[in-house]
Amino acid sequence: MDKDFTSRRRRELIIAAFFAALAATVPLFVKDVYIQNIMVLTLMYAALSQAWNILSGYCGQISLGHALYFGLGAYTTALLFTKFGVLPWFGMLAGGVISAVIAMALGYPCFRLGGHYFSIATIVIAEIALVLFQNWDWAGAALGIDIPIHRDSWLTFQFTRSKLPYFYFALVLACIAWLVTWWLEDSKWGYWWRAVKDNPSAAESLGVDVFNSKMGAAAVSAFLTAIGGSFYAQFVSYIDPESVMGFQFSLLMALPAVLGGIGTLWGPVLGAVILIPLTELTRSYIGGSGRGVDLIVYGLMIVLISLARPQGLVGLFSVSKKAVSR
Amino acid sequence: MKISRRNVLLGATAAAALGPIASRADTPEVAIGVIYPLSGSSAQIGVDAQKAFETAAEIINKDYDFKLPLAKGEGLPGLGGAKIKLVFADHQADPQKGRAETERLITQEKVCAVVGTYQSAVAVTVSQTCERYQIPFLSADNSSPSLHRRGLKYYFRASPHDEMFSKAMFDFFDALRKKGQKIETLSLFHEDTIFGTDSANAQSKLATERGYKIVSDIKYRANSPSLTAEVQQLKAADADVLMPSSYTTDAILLVKTMAELGYRPKNIMAQDAGFSEKALYDAVGDKLEGVISRGSFSLDLAEKRPMVGMINEMYKAKSGKDFNDYTSRQFMGLILMAEAINRAKSTDGDKIREALAATDIPGDVTIMPWMRVKYDEMGQNNDADPVLLQYLGGKFVTIAPQRVAVSEAVWPMPSK
Repeated sequence: MDKDFTSRRRRELIIAAFFAALAATVPLFVKDVYIQNIMVLTLMYAALSQAWNILSGYCGQISLGHALYFGLGAYTTALLFTKFGVLPWFGMLAGGVISAVIAMALGYPCFRLGGHYFSIATIVIAEIALVLFQNWDWAGAALGIDIPIHRDSWLTFQFTRSKLPYFYFALVLACIAWLVTWWLEDSKWGYWWRAVKDNPSAAESLGVDVFNSKMGAAAVSAFLTAIGGSFYAQFVSYIDPESVMGFQFSLLMALPAVLGGIGTLWGPVLGAVILIPLTELTRSYIGGSGRGVDLIVYGLMIVLISLARPQGLVGLFSVSKKAVSR
Repeated sequence: MKISRRNVLLGATAAAALGPIASRADTPEVAIGVIYPLSGSSAQIGVDAQKAFETAAEIINKDYDFKLPLAKGEGLPGLGGAKIKLVFADHQADPQKGRAETERLITQEKVCAVVGTYQSAVAVTVSQTCERYQIPFLSADNSSPSLHRRGLKYYFRASPHDEMFSKAMFDFFDALRKKGQKIETLSLFHEDTIFGTDSANAQSKLATERGYKIVSDIKYRANSPSLTAEVQQLKAADADVLMPSSYTTDAILLVKTMAELGYRPKNIMAQDAGFSEKALYDAVGDKLEGVISRGSFSLDLAEKRPMVGMINEMYKAKSGKDFNDYTSRQFMGLILMAEAINRAKSTDGDKIREALAATDIPGDVTIMPWMRVKYDEMGQNNDADPVLLQYLGGKFVTIAPQRVAVSEAVWPMPSK
């Protein structure tokens, strides 16, 4: 390992710490709950997209069914809380573990599928889960679960009006997802995953355990996604199958990473920081007309970015340029 | 800082300059949030809703000689003639976005009340957010019965919910049975979101209670690309009455598929939604002669209450359409909310809530076929009678209840 590489990784860590600290101070100046709401969503999507990036970006297994893990996280927390009074913090961990186990159980047959077939399988499985949840009466079926509001408490992770607790939780979640990726990048797994992504047969011939690498990536990715789902359930305090397991969610998780730079450390964060405020602000301030101008602007921006930077926005910054070309 | 004479003078001037602004801020405009899907697959609903709300605001803000609350005189007399200002927001049928937009309306746009939302799932989060900020929410056109049973203090609904609608259908069946018609078997056909699920739950409960047999109960995926298998089942069951709960696109597909497979139901009793949309009758109206749909509004009312026709013309000038089930409820929703704000003589959320809770308006000063408007402790108006409408000769005629009916029902529906 050359010195240059180690120092670059250290520099990345410092930059990340700087941005995290900067982000943590923003609510001191921004008091508007609407803007705070956008920041929470941005951080949530940064974390989710980072999680998606582990399986789909680093390991190259494009998943279009991550809404499944998101929904499982949301449902586990909400069901455990409303039916058994289990605090969301435990529900969150339970949801993460359940999702990781299910990701591996599904990976067992699906990782034998190559390329596009794998992606199609992920879509189908998520859709099946959606239909199951829509018909599962005990879990609220199509009516969903309305998490009753009590009083503000960190224990039940409920806050009537304040967005700050949610903001800091989302920030911590985004940092954890980033750190896990940062750490994995330079671990044995990280190298295996990239080898699997580039050429599975060549990797296998060099002694990489292709199948188990994929399983590992799926488990980590699903775990983090489910934590995001649990957070969403607490944040919105109402979930129904369509709003946490719908196909659009799978795309929304992939989009920031794709836009920012797939398979890169900074791509998901960068993508989320641009994409989420763009969607929210265009809808709120030019969407009230009913003419769909907001969606046209939004679509146009994505097309322009993709045309100008097909490799992702991360290519605009020199520090990360090396990460892309490595 | 030393207080000099000049500073005192400056301060006094500033205070004098600010004074009028501060006092003007109490009265000039009353902002009401209106939250609807303005983009996405139900965008048309939101666009039509906008026109309905604008019509209502115009009637309140200008002087009209209608026997409707706040029509006479300009603005809200209780607030010194303040005008209603509508602030529209788009929730894209997403509960999370509904929540965020409600929060924005309340904190940034300073609305004192919110009206919405079309989709029931979005009404859940919108009403919850209003509750958190102690701002009253009026559910103009949501019909899911679970909404008012959540113990919310700031939730109100003037229009009927699905159980009331379904009850009207079964009352109608019972009456026909007494007259000697044979109605024994029912087929339920419903989509899988809150609307369809709630509707079917209410219908199966009533069917069991009143001795009707459900021979098929089909739940299908909303916006399904094909309904062939489902229609095959309906055809095999061939019940006396088919009871669909579907939105527009699914309703069109259902009717087309039934025609393709040669299935002509003996009778159709629809749970509104797609079956009260003009788009359905534009597409497949020729196959729907004799269909009965429940509704909460009927233009036939114009014969007895001329203002209904005049207000409808105002709406038509804006939108190019007649009032339908949704737009009439939306229109009335704003009038009722404004009426309460006027009585509250304040834009304070709690005071408006109290005024809403004390509402007692006779039905004949509304544009609806309701008995009256009076909310129970859960915020539901139980005196909002639904109507049953039958599609005959290219238009809907009211067949029940007696008070507003203009013709007898054709039963069974014409076989061609």
